[in-house]
Amino acid sequence: MKEHDKRTMTLNLTAREMAVLEELTAKRGLNKTAVMRLALRLLQAVDSKVQMGHKLIVENEQSHEKSELVIL
Amino acid sequence: MSKTSIYLKESATGKLVKAALLDEIADAHLAMWVASWCSEMERHCAGRILQNKPEDHHWDWKAKAAHWRPLLGYHSFAIVCQGELQGLMMANDLQSARLPIQFGKALVYVEYLATAPWNRSEVQMPPRFSGVGTTFISAAIELSRTIGYRGRIGLHALPMAESFYLEKCKMDALGRDTACQSLMYFELTEEKAELFRQDGRNR
Repeated sequence: MKEHDKRTMTLNLTAREMAVLEELTAKRGLNKTAVMRLALRLLQAVDSKVQMGHKLIVENEQSHEKSELVIL
Repeated sequence: MSKTSIYLKESATGKLVKAALLDEIADAHLAMWVASWCSEMERHCAGRILQNKPEDHHWDWKAKAAHWRPLLGYHSFAIVCQGELQGLMMANDLQSARLPIQFGKALVYVEYLATAPWNRSEVQMPPRFSGVGTTFISAAIELSRTIGYRGRIGLHALPMAESFYLEKCKMDALGRDTACQSLMYFELTEEKAELFRQDGRNR
């Protein structure tokens, strides 16, 4: 909304990566650029929490089993 | 930071008053929050038991700003009218929808939305301005459309605000979320977002 000044880059993906990207575009209702930008924002948000000493935990809603995602 | 002209309704006269919607909470807005909003909230809360205080009385917008400002996925908004701060909102674009019709699709999630104390009937009668909440919901829908989310938005509502999201915004209530203090979770589909926009033109 506030950042109109965009930079362009070329992104080379493997066939598998492209297949995953296409799957995510369908699932998320976004185009490929929007999915890549969302991935960047998510990684930054998670990284910021991890830097603050937080852990990223995922929980199975049914079994309440929790596991930690390790972010490198 | 960009500025959009909007109108708020002055409750006492019913007149529309020109205001500004800003797509970033700047230091100047936080200074206004400290100078007038906080003091008014403290005055209202003095001597009241917790249940009688506004549900957001403890929100520290300065601390929240320090957290979200560096993050690309977070968006903040402020409304200023007649030189005073009238409302603040913070949203992120990192979450996905829960409604079956749009499950898994990206949406804009409104994390915090508040109108200034003097715009609330529980603090001041009549409230000074109305329209802050609907303006922010419109802004969240526009943000959602701008980034390709087609107007989809979601939020957890504080109990006192549930009727606003249900009746005024026509959002779908998905039940209480035990993972979020048992607050009611609401979502707006792209179709309902479009209806909200069309209604806004007639408001």
